Amino acid sequence: MQESAQILLKSIFLFILVWAAVRLMGKRNMSQISPFSFIGYIVIAIVAALMSINLINLIYGFIALLVWVSFPIALDYLSIKSKVMHELINGKEAVLIKHGKIMEENLLSVRMTGEDLLAQLRSKNAFNMADVEFAVMETNGTINPYLKSDKKPVTPHDLGIKVAPQAEPQTIVLDGNMLEEPLTSLGLNPQWLTTELDKMGVSLENVFLGQVDSSGDLYLDLFDDAIELPQPKVKEMLYAAFEKSQADLTTFAQQTEDPEAKAMYSNNSRRLEDLLNKLRPYLLH
Amino acid sequence: MTVASQVKQTIASLKGTRGTLRVYITQTRDDETRSVFTDALNETNTIIEDLEKRLQVLEFEEPQYKGN
Repeated sequence: MQESAQILLKSIFLFILVWAAVRLMGKRNMSQISPFSFIGYIVIAIVAALMSINLINLIYGFIALLVWVSFPIALDYLSIKSKVMHELINGKEAVLIKHGKIMEENLLSVRMTGEDLLAQLRSKNAFNMADVEFAVMETNGTINPYLKSDKKPVTPHDLGIKVAPQAEPQTIVLDGNMLEEPLTSLGLNPQWLTTELDKMGVSLENVFLGQVDSSGDLYLDLFDDAIELPQPKVKEMLYAAFEKSQADLTTFAQQTEDPEAKAMYSNNSRRLEDLLNKLRPYLLH
Repeated sequence: MTVASQVKQTIASLKGTRGTLRVYITQTRDDETRSVFTDALNETNTIIEDLEKRLQVLEFEEPQYKGN
């Protein structure tokens, strides 16, 4: 009876101690740790387990724990302070593919076969070796390929297309409740939300989620999915109105016989066309 | 429909776009977008002015249709 009470007390004490020690050792994700710190964690776990069931002396256990907790912390500190120590402790990343060619010696030095490399590349969506310009194995073992420039996903910049800058949308309604803080950070007030909801004909209680995008348009998702909501189409309509006016002006220019009026109409029609080109990325996206 | 009333319609629709632009100028959070919309508003204003001038001439030429 006395022994089981002892084990209980020890276990509780060690639980708190190990939890604090692991927190002290850093916040890195388990999948990102180096093999050596993985060993460190295992030793701490085993020593703590043996101590809590009385298999080893409490004092001996503490000495072992102290070393295995304090050394990783000290090494981490050193590797932050010094580049040389960082490479010594964590190792250096290995270049596995350079200029589209596999570096066989480096592959051997990280103990990888060609199949391992291909499997890792496939997991990064690089199925074709010919598409990879450069690949590097990070110190934690993940392989990151850099694709050849003609195999990379196309960006608007590649296509020479101007896109409107868009900031992150703000969530202002969640579960039927208005969120005051994001609303005020947008420079809007509850009255604005009330008028917008009135315009769409829904009550706040029926809104599951409401977001405002950077141009100030409100998007809503309702609890009652049977209700069809008019999604914001104001920008498209604005663009269409400009387009129609531009077409009107071109027609006027053709119909009139007064040369001065003809010049004025075609001049303004051209200006509207320029305006349409300038507004397109902002209104249609 | 006379030319004057067609021009009037175009002016009205341009004035509508002016209103929508003003709303977006006040509610957008991005400075670049705001400046593009402000430019568009100014451009629209000058076009409306030109068209209104022309409308006056048209109404003077065909006074019988004035007000349509």
